[in-house]
Amino acid sequence: MKISKLIVAGALCAAASAPLAAHHSAAMFDDEKVVELNGTIKEVQWTNPHVWIQVVVDNNGQKIDWSIEGGSPNSLSRNGWKATTFKSGDPVVVRVNPMKDGTPGGSFIGAKWKDTGKTIGRWE
Amino acid sequence: MRTALLAVAGSVIAIGIAAGQASKPAPATLPDWSGVWQMVGPTVFDRTTVQPQNGRAGDAGVREFPPYTDEYEAIYKKNIEKIKAGTFPDPISVCGVPHGFPRIMNVPDVYEFAVTPAATYVLAENGPGILRVYTDGRQHPPADELWGTYTGASVGRWDGDTLVFETRGLKESRDNDVIVDRTGLVLSDAARVTTRMRKINDTMMEAVIVVDDAKALKASWKVTKQYRKLPAGTWAWDYGCAENNRNPISNSGKTLTLGPDGKPIDKKTD
Repeated sequence: MKISKLIVAGALCAAASAPLAAHHSAAMFDDEKVVELNGTIKEVQWTNPHVWIQVVVDNNGQKIDWSIEGGSPNSLSRNGWKATTFKSGDPVVVRVNPMKDGTPGGSFIGAKWKDTGKTIGRWE
Repeated sequence: MRTALLAVAGSVIAIGIAAGQASKPAPATLPDWSGVWQMVGPTVFDRTTVQPQNGRAGDAGVREFPPYTDEYEAIYKKNIEKIKAGTFPDPISVCGVPHGFPRIMNVPDVYEFAVTPAATYVLAENGPGILRVYTDGRQHPPADELWGTYTGASVGRWDGDTLVFETRGLKESRDNDVIVDRTGLVLSDAARVTTRMRKINDTMMEAVIVVDDAKALKASWKVTKQYRKLPAGTWAWDYGCAENNRNPISNSGKTLTLGPDGKPIDKKTD
């Protein structure tokens, strides 16, 4: 079973999303695709050089742990984020530019909390 | 006799200090570059020549057109091919080396510019990186006392409100261990870079960077970078790149992604 079929709640679509400033090559991400992850926040690593958000997606009973890379906490904090913006257990939809090789990872674009409707990042 | 010697020694010290002070600008004449600043635009070093237009550093097929010699154009093309293959790692990914110069003038996140009579410090949050520009009247070290370093040796002077400095002693890129930007630009150890930094107005800074490199370039290469002042009270923070680096480099030069357990999640690591 291919992961891409299971986790995509929204349509894969072309996107001209600007990648986050990274300390590394972004060659692993497909910035022509956007994947929507419907899941729950497991953990946030509010660390340099990148914030990492672990999102658990339920795939028909199989829990898949996605690793979502954000900007640095420094830059995110200057753009309204806090270390506590995402909390463990938060129900979210997260949009990412996925890893090209199909593994459960991606570059953060934006997110929406399913309970409050609040959004962060790019969410048009 | 002893008194006379002390008097002479005192005079020599006084003359030495006076000479040093004479070569430094008075604090009151120095411009106010305080605040936190951010480079305008993405991290393509020479945005006037980048192809395709608005291409992003690190994306396959994106390149600039410095006046490279044939030898360095060939090196650049080789790097561009590695980017296409996903095997051109950014040397800073390992979190152990500085960006170097002139790349330090072309990084994301924020800057602070600390102006003192003896030196001006460019403090790049990302990296972190520090560029020291000495304005105390010193000269560059003689060639046989200078070795290639990432950021080189910068000596400057004030021309009114403009800081003019020359940077020498840059490390030659070997196996792309120092780059100018993520499109694969590199320079040689013969590079001499003259930079003119000034405040254009209360909220904008400009650095006009002219690169001369007898090995790598057929002509001078002029690039202008601008920096916008962020709102008063903006913080610059510690950037501990090695704190949680989940992007190591594989043996083939591929940038990997680690899962929370510290193991690569990539399907192929090499």
